[in-house]
Amino acid sequence: MMEGFTRKISKDNLRSALGKENLKSALEKIPLKEKLLLAASTIPFIAASTMSSSCATTCPYGMVNDPFPGQCSRYIDLDGDGMCDLSQVTTAAQTTDTTTTTTDDTSTGTDSGQGNGAHAEVQDPVDANATTIQDTPSMDSGNLGGDGNNYLVLPISMLIIGGYLVTHFLFKKGILKRNKHRRIWNLLLTAGYLGSGGTGVILAVLINMGIRTALNPSLIFWHVELSILMVVGTLIHLHIYRKPFRNMFRVLFGFKSNSRRRDPNRAEGTSK
Amino acid sequence: MVYDLVLPALPFIGGYLFTYSLYRMDLIRKALHINIWNFIIGVAFLISGGAGFLLLLFMEFGVKLPINPQLLYWHVELGVTLALVTIFHFHTYWKSSKTMFFPAKRRVKT
Repeated sequence: MMEGFTRKISKDNLRSALGKENLKSALEKIPLKEKLLLAASTIPFIAASTMSSSCATTCPYGMVNDPFPGQCSRYIDLDGDGMCDLSQVTTAAQTTDTTTTTTDDTSTGTDSGQGNGAHAEVQDPVDANATTIQDTPSMDSGNLGGDGNNYLVLPISMLIIGGYLVTHFLFKKGILKRNKHRRIWNLLLTAGYLGSGGTGVILAVLINMGIRTALNPSLIFWHVELSILMVVGTLIHLHIYRKPFRNMFRVLFGFKSNSRRRDPNRAEGTSK
Repeated sequence: MVYDLVLPALPFIGGYLFTYSLYRMDLIRKALHINIWNFIIGVAFLISGGAGFLLLLFMEFGVKLPINPQLLYWHVELGVTLALVTIFHFHTYWKSSKTMFFPAKRRVKT
């Protein structure tokens, strides 16, 4: 039995199976739609691989000495001097860096913590000796599954796209009904919009009113996470309702569409 | 930076009421009314989502650009518009939205 098996996977068989012609013909057999779906599913991987793991916790908008209430929702003032700590110059001596760095050579230091000062630029020599308290990971994320610089873009995108591919496959095989398939993704999209929109509006109101609460970092974290669900969910929504989406351009701009009208009683150019 | 939450929403509320009344008075087709607002929600999504994604990337890479505060401002403003137009979207597709939240079987009166 073993001999038969080894014969089957002999070198020659493998070579012929993995031959250029065989691979080419196998690739040609895959429909263009599936190729596009496969290509689309690799986007998050590429995006994640290009993202830097070490990120600056200095002001992401490049502001210096941003006064209260701050130009953005990330305003934080632990030392109570009325300036956003992120916009102030940090001294390397106060950080928990394993290597000692100086203010002249901040870009070469390696961080063991959150990377404070890794990309810092000394823009105001007067403040070079200012004491700034190091941000703890929880300050940015609210202890909710990731630090402020790690918004889990890749895992969430992968989960959503993977989930869609599974339900799409089940729907194509007839295991999942069309209505159920649509309902699942419409509900997820609604959850994404409600969560992202709700947290966004709350954050905007808090910033406008100058209210700073301990919940702000958590709100920002969940705003970003739910926005990922919203964006990927919207792209899936466009894929599910691609025919009415194409019709939209035809109705508004007169572009030609290849889709055929099946039901003459149906409202033209709408999905329902 | 103070964000306007009400002012940018007013033209959209007025616009929706305008096209909706035109459709109700049979002056425009339903498809046109729906597609205008589908297009607006798409544009708001593109700008707000695009700006948000760019800001996220800039933060990840530690990129500081002078346009970042403007990008954040328009992300918030268009985000407010997107939230509002999403409510209109639910109103437009109310029948199927109802089915989504409450399946047809549950809505049958006993």
